[in-house]
Amino acid sequence: MNKTNKEILKKFREGEEKFLLGKIAIIFFAIIFLIIPLFVRDPYFLHIFVLVFFFAYLGTAWSLVSMAGQLSLGHAALLGIGGYTSTLMFMEWGITPWLGMIFGAAFSGLVGLIIGYPTFRLKGPYFALTTIAFAEILRIYVENTEIGPFNIPLRAAMGLLVPLKGHAPSVFQFANKEAYYYIIFAMMCGAIFLSYTINRRRMGFYLAAIRSDQDGAEALGINSTKYKLIAMIISCILTAIGGTFYAQYFRYINPERAMGLGMSIEIALVGVIGGWQTVLGPTIGSLLLSPSGELIRAYLGGTYAGLHLFIYGLLLMIVILFLPNGLNDPIIKALKRLNNCLRRYPAKKELDIIKSKS
Amino acid sequence: MKRFKNAFKILSLSFLLIFACWEVVWATEVLIGQVLPLSGGAAPQGTQIKTGAEIAVEEINAEGGIKSLGGAKIKLIFGDSKSTPDGGAAETERLCTREKVSLILGAFQSGVTFPATEVAERYKTPWIVNVAVKDEITERGFKYVFRDFNKASYDILEMIKAVELFAKETGKKPKTFALMYEGTDWGRSSAQFVKKFYPEKGYKMVLEESYAPGIADFTPQILKIKAAKPDMLIVALYTPEHVLFSKQQMEQKLYLPYGLWSVGAGSEDPTFYKAVPIKAVEFMFVQDDWDVNAPQRPWFPSLDQKTKAKLGYGLNSYVACGYGTMYLVKDVLERAASTDRDKIRDAIAATDITPQTCGRIERKVDGKTYCPALVRGITRIKFDEQGQNTFSHGMITQNQKGVKIPFWPVEARPAGAKLVWPIPPWDKR
Amino acid sequence: MSAELLLSASVMGLLLGGLYASVAIGLSLIFGIIRVINFAHGGFLMMAMYASFWLWYFFQINPYLSIIVVVPLFFFFGYIVQNTLIKPMFVRERALVVEPLGVLLLMAGFDLVLANLALLFFKSDYRAIVSPIASATISLEFIELNVPRFIVLVLSFIITGGLTWLMNYTEIGVAIRAVGQNREAAALCGINVYKIYNITFGLGTAAVALAGAAMVPFYYVNPSMGLPLGVKSFIVVVLGGLGSIPGALLGGLILGIIESITAQFVTSTSAVIFSFLLFIIVLFVRPKGLMGIIEA
Repeated sequence: MNKTNKEILKKFREGEEKFLLGKIAIIFFAIIFLIIPLFVRDPYFLHIFVLVFFFAYLGTAWSLVSMAGQLSLGHAALLGIGGYTSTLMFMEWGITPWLGMIFGAAFSGLVGLIIGYPTFRLKGPYFALTTIAFAEILRIYVENTEIGPFNIPLRAAMGLLVPLKGHAPSVFQFANKEAYYYIIFAMMCGAIFLSYTINRRRMGFYLAAIRSDQDGAEALGINSTKYKLIAMIISCILTAIGGTFYAQYFRYINPERAMGLGMSIEIALVGVIGGWQTVLGPTIGSLLLSPSGELIRAYLGGTYAGLHLFIYGLLLMIVILFLPNGLNDPIIKALKRLNNCLRRYPAKKELDIIKSKS
Repeated sequence: MKRFKNAFKILSLSFLLIFACWEVVWATEVLIGQVLPLSGGAAPQGTQIKTGAEIAVEEINAEGGIKSLGGAKIKLIFGDSKSTPDGGAAETERLCTREKVSLILGAFQSGVTFPATEVAERYKTPWIVNVAVKDEITERGFKYVFRDFNKASYDILEMIKAVELFAKETGKKPKTFALMYEGTDWGRSSAQFVKKFYPEKGYKMVLEESYAPGIADFTPQILKIKAAKPDMLIVALYTPEHVLFSKQQMEQKLYLPYGLWSVGAGSEDPTFYKAVPIKAVEFMFVQDDWDVNAPQRPWFPSLDQKTKAKLGYGLNSYVACGYGTMYLVKDVLERAASTDRDKIRDAIAATDITPQTCGRIERKVDGKTYCPALVRGITRIKFDEQGQNTFSHGMITQNQKGVKIPFWPVEARPAGAKLVWPIPPWDKR
Repeated sequence: MSAELLLSASVMGLLLGGLYASVAIGLSLIFGIIRVINFAHGGFLMMAMYASFWLWYFFQINPYLSIIVVVPLFFFFGYIVQNTLIKPMFVRERALVVEPLGVLLLMAGFDLVLANLALLFFKSDYRAIVSPIASATISLEFIELNVPRFIVLVLSFIITGGLTWLMNYTEIGVAIRAVGQNREAAALCGINVYKIYNITFGLGTAAVALAGAAMVPFYYVNPSMGLPLGVKSFIVVVLGGLGSIPGALLGGLILGIIESITAQFVTSTSAVIFSFLLFIIVLFVRPKGLMGIIEA
């Protein structure tokens, strides 16, 4: 059985058009992003890029659950779990957030497993509503609890202020923006690579089958629960790590912002507008939404409060109505067409060979 | 000889050019940032503070700007915190790094000011807190953060001093109290001190109730309070909840023999009083953060008029705070004679403004001089090593027939004012 | 806790439940017939309340009187929204796989648009009407009943009764029920399914507009108030049973009473957790809800 699968996969990959232009584009962007901090010194400019990469990272992590066919609107809870765990461990016991991050991720993965198992059998919209309910329960609990279990102070709605240590890389604090820039860039690349790898391997195909027709997939012998849960746990782990980054970058984390419905929707927005079940979709979404949202809020937010959210909502509606697979679709299609145009000459040669043979 | 002449011409021309540029650079602008809630739940108060600051800046710029900087004008740059902590922190970051302001003011809400001031400290940008009471804001050993306002502990201590004063004057003393507060930073800060100071003076807490913003109905809480039968009820509410609560406690005829004590915020907002019937706030005690006797002061009419022109309603504590702090800034800038952040920081630390030492910022209106930085009703601005103005204080007022009458400190009490203590039941009003 | 306190809390709970029910009934109708998760339900409520408020602010029209204008206005608003925004999703459905999440996201986007349009135009100040009717109370032995809240409770029964009558005794109501039961069969019977959908959505929106106008006397208006109540409506609809209008009424009342009583034991904010927990438990244990017709 395994050997046959491997053969099928191999043929599939061979059959894939050589999408050279796509690879060039990715390498091009990667290089640009890597060298930007060498030329751009303005911290605010770098901050915008950090936001882009951050939401691209979160969106990609979130999209793993979407690839299993479920819409999650409660991912902020996982962000909060990650951020709170690492920060509390640092504040109470002096454990460096690099280590606390692992605990946060593990805890978040456990939560994902426990919640995912019973909820996955709910159909689409009900799953979405349930994720909202779980996230709200967590948020409200933390918002109202000053002293939590094991006498750990949760500080309720006041949130946690990460102790200022100046430039202290060992505890995940840096005095300059560049360090954070590269860290989140690396995280984003890691997440994209992970998503890409999953999609190219067996699990990716199983997920594709599950999300288009779960009953059909199960009839073929695919254990849908198992793969959905794996996707969920990976997604939770990644999001929690993102939570630690959030806490260390903004140096402040509170329930309303980090665990709230607003944050969950922002993560989902980036994913949906970019392409919620695709590998690069969330990154594209973030490239579009994060800078524009931030700039609109910063420069017009005083007089036109809420303008950036209004535009987000409008974009979401337009995408759903006209581009259900997000912006990812038209962009990739355009690139592929360009790619094929450029490949025309070699292909023509092959065509001539075929013609001459016939 | 000719070469010498040419060289001399070029040299003198360049000197002139440099001097001209210097003058231009010298007499341009001082950038002052303000982080305020201009949207979200605290938007009314944020807009009021903004208005006060704008009125002050218009006056300052019209009257010659900052003289020690060659008449440089103040330019205000506002950042909307959206009533959220990370909105405030993000705007602070932008003001420090992108807009390169020399000084920041704000941010009204304790929950926003606390993290935002840390951002400013990181960027070594001085921050004067106007209107945020969380004590820890000036207790972190920061060098760049100052506060010309009460701490939450001051607010609560003033309330207790008032209760003690009333008890001494009338011989009637309450024994128990209930506490209800919004579960965010400000509410919890105030609650923390209530729970600390009141029992120290012998008052017993019979109920503690927190709630989250956005609540639709206070009847469950009112029922609980009725069941606990406290002598006094202490509340910390922002405007929307205060409106709702005041209306509902009137409907439900919640009886508190020694009164409803409001720590401020909602009860200091003119829009609150527009939205509730007079009966609902009758005999309510408010810890007001400004001089309630202000309408009698000489500068009141012109300032009140300017406020009305911008907001549609008259001067209140937050407009006054926004206005006063801006004149404090003028005093600081005059002494610093620089837009350099560290020099400004040192100038703030050296501040000592009293009605007698107000020369740099004194104004004349209707023939009478006054000190604009002290319009809040305090008599001195001087910061201690932690950056706190220890001379800051407020007033305790009681609402009688829709008018707030100050009863503490005793010096502020108008002649012929009669304290209603204890409060008569609803059917006897 | 004394019996008197329990009784008071229950009565308060009924009033609160009436509010929840009035808002949720429209959602139940829309969901039951069109099977659409209307994420923008809270947004419609908020807009209706603003409409009623501005009529009071500029023309001094009593909110109860404003119902005459606001309700038909929002019927048309809902009709148009269904026709222009949601219908294309159904038409597309014929060609592609059914995408129930698509409509959810579409309406979520629409809710963002509505809430922020309100923020842009009306600003974020909390608005409330000032009027003697707002604080009028009926005195019962142990508790004061706020009249406007009581009216909303009564209204929830009236809306339920009215819609039930409509569904059972009018031609259009029977057509709506038919479409809800089996779309294809109804189409075969000659019913214009899309038109019925439009009418149903309009009715649901009109119902929530009615609730909103009746809430203006005692509830403050603000652009961000739509989402929390919208989410509550989902809890009510699931609790009561998807697709059942009497179920929504029952669900709303029960939710109100539970929240009110638990608020006596824990802080009111924690009581909200119970609502969400209830929601989750119902979805797992009895997806049909109390009186549900459709299963989750």
